[in-house]
Amino acid sequence: MIGKMKRRDFLKALGLGGTATLVGCDLPTTVTLEEGKEDVVSYLLPEEYAIPGIAVWYASTCTQCTAGCGIHGRVREGRVLKIEGNPEAPINVGKTCQMGQAGLQGHYNPDRITAPMVREGGRLVPTTWEKAQALLSEKVGAKSTLNADRVAWFTGTLSGHQRALVNNHLDAVGSKLHFAHEVVNANVWQAVSRDMLDDPMPRIRLDKAKLILSFGADFLATWVSPVHFAGQYSKFRTAADRGALIQVESKMSMTGGSADLWVAIRPGTEGALALGLANYLVANGVNAAALTAEVRDKIAAYDVQKVAGITGIATAQIERIGKALKARSPSVVLAGASVEGQAQGYESVAAIMLLNVLLGNIGTTIEPSGKFPFPQLEAKSGGTGDLLAFTKAVEQKQLDVVFFYGANPLYSAPAALKLDEQINNIPFKVVLAQFPDETAMHADLVLPVSSYLEDWGTHVAAYQPEQNQMGVQQPLMQKLYGDTRGFGDVVVSLLALRNTAQWGAFTDSYGYLKNVFATMKAGVGAGALSNDEFWNNSLQTGMVKVDAPARKHTLKPVVPNVATNAPDAGFPYYLVPSPRMGLFDGRHANLPWLQESPDQIAKVVWDSWAEIHPSTADKLGIAHGDVIKVESEHGALEVKAYLIKGIHPDAISIPLGQGHTEYGRYAKNRGVNPLKILKRITDAKTGELAMYATRVKVSKTGKQDVIIRLGHSDTQHGRRLARTVSVDVLKRTKGA
Amino acid sequence: MVRWVNKQVAEIAGATAPRALRHVSWIAAVALMWAASSSAGFAQDIVPPVGLHQGEDVVQPIEFPHNIHVEVNKINCMYCHTYARRSKVAGIPPTSKCIGCHKIIATDKPRIQKLTEYWQKGESPKWKKVHDVPDYVHFTHERHLKKLVFDRDYPVEDVKEICAFCHGQLKEMTVAKKVKPLNMGWCVSCHEKNGGPSDCWKCHK
Repeated sequence: MIGKMKRRDFLKALGLGGTATLVGCDLPTTVTLEEGKEDVVSYLLPEEYAIPGIAVWYASTCTQCTAGCGIHGRVREGRVLKIEGNPEAPINVGKTCQMGQAGLQGHYNPDRITAPMVREGGRLVPTTWEKAQALLSEKVGAKSTLNADRVAWFTGTLSGHQRALVNNHLDAVGSKLHFAHEVVNANVWQAVSRDMLDDPMPRIRLDKAKLILSFGADFLATWVSPVHFAGQYSKFRTAADRGALIQVESKMSMTGGSADLWVAIRPGTEGALALGLANYLVANGVNAAALTAEVRDKIAAYDVQKVAGITGIATAQIERIGKALKARSPSVVLAGASVEGQAQGYESVAAIMLLNVLLGNIGTTIEPSGKFPFPQLEAKSGGTGDLLAFTKAVEQKQLDVVFFYGANPLYSAPAALKLDEQINNIPFKVVLAQFPDETAMHADLVLPVSSYLEDWGTHVAAYQPEQNQMGVQQPLMQKLYGDTRGFGDVVVSLLALRNTAQWGAFTDSYGYLKNVFATMKAGVGAGALSNDEFWNNSLQTGMVKVDAPARKHTLKPVVPNVATNAPDAGFPYYLVPSPRMGLFDGRHANLPWLQESPDQIAKVVWDSWAEIHPSTADKLGIAHGDVIKVESEHGALEVKAYLIKGIHPDAISIPLGQGHTEYGRYAKNRGVNPLKILKRITDAKTGELAMYATRVKVSKTGKQDVIIRLGHSDTQHGRRLARTVSVDVLKRTKGA
Repeated sequence: MVRWVNKQVAEIAGATAPRALRHVSWIAAVALMWAASSSAGFAQDIVPPVGLHQGEDVVQPIEFPHNIHVEVNKINCMYCHTYARRSKVAGIPPTSKCIGCHKIIATDKPRIQKLTEYWQKGESPKWKKVHDVPDYVHFTHERHLKKLVFDRDYPVEDVKEICAFCHGQLKEMTVAKKVKPLNMGWCVSCHEKNGGPSDCWKCHK
């Protein structure tokens, strides 16, 4: 409401009013140029290798998303100050994304939980680890009257020794319940790859392709392993025969913004387009011998005319894509979250994978992945199916004790699941949290965990490049808060409560890790090294490179039963809850750098907005900046309308990440959370939540507001500030 | 200059050195004298920065007497601020360095007893920062010492005169006090007079 604020009020809000006084300058920890105000503490005993002012870089692994990039942290005077990519890491080859860079702000975040908290009289109050430990012993210790089947872990994607520890704990308790939840995932893509290729996460070789056709796969920002794909993409683009990118999606993503051809498609019809393209290719002489007769029949039913009607894409455009696919080989065809997140998501992704089969991309640009020698360390990839299973178990009061870590279901669960009403069906909720997020604030016991820059761990990303790796995460500095504990330390102590004989010897996860590394080295081809050499090498390089034997792709026919959604007169638009590099699924909303860095397409900062096509807005009488009501069967959100051509007229897009009701000063009560109004529709095959299938209606509220964004305007107002020249003119004039 | 060369010569010649070696040393010394005389007047070729700042008196946890250490005991600045020649910061000496001497020296003085208390508790005193530049200024002690001392063969035992360019005469102070402006105009004026870099990116990076 800045538009309505008077200058005087604005100055007052800034603390510049006449009576406001500046406080804080005399605090002992202040940072200032004034003499005698800032503390400067010397070493008690100098460390030989530490020179104040000279930085040392240590290797570790990023945990800001699930890609598992290798990082180097610059450490000076015992503080980690900068994060860069580890050039040795095959996943990211020395690069990082903005989320990786912003990891420091999670570590130094002023809203970190610094002491355990326990619920007393309905409120969370600070307690000590001794008391927390006693409570845990009473509830889940060896002498507790625990019902094994009623204990569960609820985490994000978990891999490496964190997963092994959780599995150990579940074994020690006697339970099998581990729910892994990620809002941004590729679970349907993985399921299709498993079924069709017998490979859950095949390697994608964008660098070998001459054409990428991506159905909503935002591989430069949020899909699977964005930094890895960005590196491949730059090779693809800078090759002598420059690769071409065609992006088909309902809402322009960052990848879509980089495409040579961006095509807006009616939401949920991507499978039909894939079959239509297959039809065009077969009709134009591409050998369909690789497909079964049943699949060929399926394809035959989708002629270009019909597909144009379903998808809303002109026939000429479909033929243009088909021609490009035929001419530019090898290609690679990808399917992203907007395709997966439909009631027939699996079928559509299967239809898209069929294009790869038809075009002979399997084995050229889609390669078999390596089989990691330690299956117990492989990633348990989170999805939304587990969230649904979890809410069902909660609803039916099947859980007595749940440990939460690395996931925030009370933020990400749609209101339709009624999780916030039913969460207290779990009598004892333990949340291992770094921040007071929505889930932590509902906990019965909050255990403060160290940041990833203070903790030990190993990470085996679900997507592995040509060289398989296990990322090693080591503390880059001492804990900022002495009362936080590493995740592994907490689980080891939980294990010791159950089985003192086996686990009591380990005081922390460092001891555990060092121990298991000794047992691993032979399995990764490092048997010749001593235990210490192997351990030190792993810490120095930040990873263990693993020679994993490649799987074999065996093509299995899957007939894609592509169906399209019936129109819904009451709720005519599709809600696109789009993730973006930055706030991601909302986990980074408390990092000011990422709030401040503008959305890659809309350029909005610190806020939520709803993207709407100008023609739709025109029809509804909505102007840019109008506050509109976006309403599904399960609730309504009031949000500012952002008119943009990069969206299909049938879609309304609200980006993910904002709308936190907790989660610290930077995230709380800012914007809206589109996940809340999603309908409970699932993908028929995989049981994943169909996140892009919710229909909404849109109405005006009569209110108006200012959208704060970088640049403020999409046009140059005729002033030719940034001049452009067409490729034809450039070729003709040679740039003169 | 002459004093320093004489001292070097005396050291190099070494009264106890073998005869033949002594001979060689004398040749070296003569060569050195020639080299020094050919760059005669180098102490004057640097123009110290001009400008003063009225610093505040800073209350430190222990009133450290720079004057006693520098003027009375003739301890080199870089003996304690040992990182100055290696790093961008000069560094506050580790408490162990203080204790190294003060285990035996002046243990009856109240300030030393206070220091010993810190040491026995396993803590360093929380000193207050006196000299600072903003985070967007990359000042480095190492480069300045290289240029102003080591590259010029300036006598290292006189380094306090160079330190005084920016820190004032510590031999006259107890607790350090900011007496130079340390602002950009002041830095630039010295860079201009003495051929320091004038590229923005040298300091603002």
